[in-house]
Amino acid sequence: MTLPLPLTPVRRLTELVSAKTRGFAELLIGSRGPYARAFESLILALVIFSIASIGVESIPGLPDWVRRTLYVAEIATVAIFTFEYLLRIVAARNKFAFIFSYQGVIDLLAIAPFYLLGFDARWLRALRLLRLLRVLKLQTHFLETVVEERTRELAEKNAALEKAQAQLKAELEVARALQLAILPAAFPARSGCEAAARMIPATTMGGDFYDYIELPDGQIGLVIADVSGHGVPAAFFMAVARTNLHELAAHHLDPGECLAQTNDALCAQNPLDLFVTVFYCVLDPKSGVLRYANGGHNPPYIRRAAGPIETLRGAGGLVLGAMSGGRYPTHTVQLLSGDRLVLFTDGVTEAFNAADELYGAQRLADEVHVHGGGTPAALVERICQSVTNFAGTAPQSDDITLTVLTWGTP
Amino acid sequence: MNLQIEAMGDVTFVEPAGRLDFDAATGFQEALERTLGGAGKPPAAVIIDGTRLDYVSSAGLRAFLLAARSAQRAGIVFALCALQPAVREVFELSGFSRIIPVHADRASALAQAQQGRT
Repeated sequence: MTLPLPLTPVRRLTELVSAKTRGFAELLIGSRGPYARAFESLILALVIFSIASIGVESIPGLPDWVRRTLYVAEIATVAIFTFEYLLRIVAARNKFAFIFSYQGVIDLLAIAPFYLLGFDARWLRALRLLRLLRVLKLQTHFLETVVEERTRELAEKNAALEKAQAQLKAELEVARALQLAILPAAFPARSGCEAAARMIPATTMGGDFYDYIELPDGQIGLVIADVSGHGVPAAFFMAVARTNLHELAAHHLDPGECLAQTNDALCAQNPLDLFVTVFYCVLDPKSGVLRYANGGHNPPYIRRAAGPIETLRGAGGLVLGAMSGGRYPTHTVQLLSGDRLVLFTDGVTEAFNAADELYGAQRLADEVHVHGGGTPAALVERICQSVTNFAGTAPQSDDITLTVLTWGTP
Repeated sequence: MNLQIEAMGDVTFVEPAGRLDFDAATGFQEALERTLGGAGKPPAAVIIDGTRLDYVSSAGLRAFLLAARSAQRAGIVFALCALQPAVREVFELSGFSRIIPVHADRASALAQAQQGRT
């Protein structure tokens, strides 16, 4: 592109300027130049001085020496303004854009009258008033300072925000590790019993949990639970619920009574009105008798050794934490050798895929029926895989928790 | 989630559509609170019509629980009707159908609400 004729000298000038000169220019006017602040102040002082002198000049009957002094000062001022103007052109990445920018035009207008008028052209004296446009130069300088200030403030705030975010993330990671540490690492060793479990939280912190509790007379308590919602509040409530149930289980061997006691304890310390669905059962490993009570949880499955699936229905009570004084009936079922107990939360059955379809209870029952013959760990792995494959790219909306227990030898 | 609220006399029907999951629960709860205790004269009954409600998560249940409590405090009848089978099962399994009345349709919910007042 060819520049318009009057600009050719400018272009030629800028072409002559080496990178070294640009480096020098940025020392004085770059946003990080070490002398930028001093230079900026000098220009500002000169602008104010020259505006004042324009006022003084207009006073009639000024002594000659004053006029001469002001004239010399004017030449010096214009020289410095010109120097500044050229520096800005040199430093600008897009010189053309700078020349036609608001500041570029103002800077040029501030010095142009001097050059147009020569050293004294009386017939153009009126044009000298154009020098008053230097007032506008003030404005552009202030604007620049303000913008720079704001940019720096913004950068500082962003840095602080990033730091806070990183800290929050680190704290959440610690909290998550603590929460996972609450979950039992291993099933109590008992002859004829084997169990496996897994929890996959939807967000960093889940509201689901499972628990194995060693009870008097060699009995084992098994818990699966789902706190409403997820995230930090659910995780806190989960810890409170798990601890209460774990403590109360030793004193209330009847599962229904244990849930009733836990419910009352939770209702007394529930500022956020959260609640938890709990399935709690107590297994006597010697006899295979399983007693259970349900506080609003999905009924678990029993996969009989031969393959058929049974659902542990039986009237339950309200979710825990919602209303005190609830009753939770206890039911009994006899496990036979090789039976598997499959406890799960609705994160399994209510996993959605990208087409908005539910994984559903039937799919889970089919998996348990077909693949339930192996070890508990294998079945847990198999179901998690199946759910993950089904969900595909759809985001996990709820915690997925699963516990499988076998009793006796198949 | 999409929410349709219509007042018929002193009974307000709320018809949520779609999935009431963790993300939708807060907005739904706020809408219910506004309906129960907003500006102007409070309704005598608020009935949730579940015709177009496809799914309720545990966070969604919590919104119902909080609304039921607010309604009880304000002396407003709070009930559900026309739940889809899957949603109805969630209410039954969780035991919520024992603390919030569930009716077959709007007409029976309305009849029950009026009976409760006389």
